[in-house]
Amino acid sequence: MPEPLLELVDLRIRAGTRDLVHRASLRLEPGRILALVGASGSGKTLTARACLGLVAPHPGVVGGSLSIGDGVTTWRPLALPPKARRAAFRSLRGRVVGWLPQEARASLDPLRTIGSQVRAVLSLRARDRIALPADRPRPEDWLAAAGFSDPSRVVRRYAHELSGGMAQRACIALALARGSRFLLADEPTTGLDPTVQAAILDQLGRLREEGCGLLLITHDLRIVPRHADMVAVMDQGEVVELLPADRLSQARSEPAQALLQATARIAGGLL
Amino acid sequence: MSRLGARLGQAVLLAVLLCWLLSLVSGYDVIADVTPARAGLHPSAQALLGTDHMGRSVAWRLVTASRAFVGPGLLAMAVALALGLPAGALAGYLGGPVAGVVRYLWAVVSAVPRFVLVLLACSIYGSEPHVLAVAAGLSFAPGLGEALTTRIEALRSREFVLATRAHGVSAARTLAWHLLWLACRALILRQLLYLLAFYLVLETSLSYVGGFGIEEPQPSWGNMLAFEFGIHGGNPAAWAAPALAIWLTVAAAIGVASTLRERGHA
Repeated sequence: MPEPLLELVDLRIRAGTRDLVHRASLRLEPGRILALVGASGSGKTLTARACLGLVAPHPGVVGGSLSIGDGVTTWRPLALPPKARRAAFRSLRGRVVGWLPQEARASLDPLRTIGSQVRAVLSLRARDRIALPADRPRPEDWLAAAGFSDPSRVVRRYAHELSGGMAQRACIALALARGSRFLLADEPTTGLDPTVQAAILDQLGRLREEGCGLLLITHDLRIVPRHADMVAVMDQGEVVELLPADRLSQARSEPAQALLQATARIAGGLL
Repeated sequence: MSRLGARLGQAVLLAVLLCWLLSLVSGYDVIADVTPARAGLHPSAQALLGTDHMGRSVAWRLVTASRAFVGPGLLAMAVALALGLPAGALAGYLGGPVAGVVRYLWAVVSAVPRFVLVLLACSIYGSEPHVLAVAAGLSFAPGLGEALTTRIEALRSREFVLATRAHGVSAARTLAWHLLWLACRALILRQLLYLLAFYLVLETSLSYVGGFGIEEPQPSWGNMLAFEFGIHGGNPAAWAAPALAIWLTVAAAIGVASTLRERGHA
């Protein structure tokens, strides 16, 4: 079994006296896509943010273990005292763990052009001494790699000048340019038309082929069997089932059944 | 304000700045220029804006008078920035008790009206320009700080800030570069231009009244206006020129400030 890029065991996130996430265990390997599904408010995004160390102290991570690896070194930031933990997460964000946000347009800096943002990410990549492919030295090259047909125009645009699909592609370009070892993609296809959804998912599939791991958070079960390798079902802050993605229709847990039935009512079943 | 208006405002502010730089290197002597024989000359080719009732060049005094507010105005800006920027930015970014304490301090300072605060400082420490400048800067720090706190508070939980952190940018750089510089620089410059306009009005008012601020024979647009206005048979340009200069500079500072916007949509 290969060394995992991400291994989460019994993560527990608490707000006041209430556990928002508990018994959340996940394992992500290189070149694999792990889908994390569940109803809204089940704790998917919070779990992913905990992997980036971006959960505010209240609520805060109060238990569990987290291992993040890049194939050579493994870090266990949650085992460190608070100051060292913050420093460890700071060094891992972007360099090892990438983030593909849910609200793409809102996640782009509204005050800078897309080109300027890609350049900034490339400078972070250079800071972290991540090798730059020889055929992609410019921001336009990364935008083209994310599926833009006219990157030289996109570099001059601001976030509010992009459509939802274009903004999502721009976020993918930023994630690609950053060169993270694996990505946490938070509902990257939500709110997009089917054509753009398919293009985005194909793009993420290509990342997998390049050896990048992907934690794909979604509540759209229809995309899971074809685009993921494994699927974890989350409910009320707990991972209740973990199974191969192509066997999602055989899930037995009650939350998974409820999601499958709802999907069937909307779309007639899994694709 | 139209684009042309903004350009004109910028040109006026640039002209004031050039006057100030010229006054620093010109070597104009306010005492030696007194020539009673040339008193009250009207504008001509020999004397651009004529002379005042003591025969002094109005044009040179107008240029030299920019020293009365540009240098101290810059000092006032530095004081407002030094006090308002770090406290306002940190309060906005950290929120919670830090914001509570900082806002309380702003409320205490703001409780004293600006003009009263300046007069209070003058009565305690004297009416030297640097005292006026520090007091004016202090009186503007709460406005600048509160504006920054409100803006950064609104931005700090936005998705793009989280995404910036997720790319590996440190919290300090996120605050200094992404929030303060990119998202607040227009706001900061706006507040500083309002402060410059306030300082000019303050200084000219005090000089006009006398007893405070710049006093004769040193020129200030305020004391030039006060000494020349109403002199029968004098040179009208001797008081009209400083009056127009005050009006134009204040209008330009406020006008340019009102046109400042961040690029993009935040």
